[in-house]
Amino acid sequence: MIALDANGADGGPAVVADGAKRSGEQVLLFGPKDELGGSGAEVVDAPERIAGDDEPVRAVRSRPDASIVQAARAVAEGRAEALVSAGSTGPTLAAATLAIKRLRGVHRPAIAALLPLPTGPVLLLDAGANTEVRPEHLVQFAYMGAAFMEAVVGSKRPRVGLLSVGREAAKGTPDVLAARQRLEDGPLDFAGNVEGFDLTAGTVDVVVTDGFTGNVALKVAEGASRTVREAIRQRVRSGGPLALLGGLLIRGPVARLRVELDPERVGGALLLGLRRPVVIAHGSFGPGGISAAVRLARRAVDERMVERTHAALETAGALRSVPAGSVATNG
Amino acid sequence: MTREEVLGRIREHLATELEVEPSAIAEETRFREDLEADSLDLVELTVELEDAYGIRFPDDEAARILTVGQAADFVFARVEDS
Repeated sequence: MIALDANGADGGPAVVADGAKRSGEQVLLFGPKDELGGSGAEVVDAPERIAGDDEPVRAVRSRPDASIVQAARAVAEGRAEALVSAGSTGPTLAAATLAIKRLRGVHRPAIAALLPLPTGPVLLLDAGANTEVRPEHLVQFAYMGAAFMEAVVGSKRPRVGLLSVGREAAKGTPDVLAARQRLEDGPLDFAGNVEGFDLTAGTVDVVVTDGFTGNVALKVAEGASRTVREAIRQRVRSGGPLALLGGLLIRGPVARLRVELDPERVGGALLLGLRRPVVIAHGSFGPGGISAAVRLARRAVDERMVERTHAALETAGALRSVPAGSVATNG
Repeated sequence: MTREEVLGRIREHLATELEVEPSAIAEETRFREDLEADSLDLVELTVELEDAYGIRFPDDEAARILTVGQAADFVFARVEDS
């Protein structure tokens, strides 16, 4: 059973309900009951939503009947196996982290954005959950990302890169340098530093960075893609008969490429590092994207993504621990 | 409800979440320096105590709580007041 917050999508709860139906999965829908009829799914009447501009932790704590809070609680209590939301990221992050909780030994959950690329999907994390990180957070993100790519995407041995300002080992902030040292000594297929253009070049499967940089990088990539697509379209339209003919000739391959690169195909981002899978669908998704998000959550459960993540962290010695001898004793 | 009970609940929460022996958590144990608790750990602790005792931790007062003993004092005082 997948818990699905039906509030927050740009198209309204009916779009989410349609997506749930298309997924073919067992879904527990949380949203306004009068707008979710006919979905075929079990519905919990939860008309209250938390907007993106509400302070997330305060809002989640003070509004226990909000749809995202109820949906997260259903997962925490075992009534559902994973959470999917197309609402604002802040409240989803707060509700999921407080209710579902961090996986034992994980410092910080990370938002992991799966980028559909011609060379194959690339995972970028953290894409916005933690603006300030320590080296041990970056190390954990690397293992969490690799475990996801193995379990859910099916990569045999994902190649992991650490985003920096140059490929050379000495390039990067002190935190990046410290994380690099630890990753080089570990069992991952670690590519070392990667640069911004590696994000879309297919040279690695997982790109690790702090949430501030990751969020900026993600939006630059999305914005650049959109700008280039629009520019091509405009030039073809305004380029005269030959340009139009050329546009027609490549229409088929371009249409197929557009489908391959469509973010709705991958289903959204994941919140990695919690005790159950959480998928954050984009608010602009239509029913197809919501359906993909639900199926992504289902796959994460079926492939035991959480258990495999914990095992990978444990094997690598990357789980959080309180340093021995640092805790005060009685007397 | 006694102050010892509050202290015990705090100790149990920290022991479970941070995987530390309860007996190693004392009144003077500092959240950040001794337990390496970060802001998320402290939010989770305040949520647990707010839910258990029906109190609220205003942000400015929560920021001044640095040790396990201070947290127990805060909770006990609020519960006694109410």
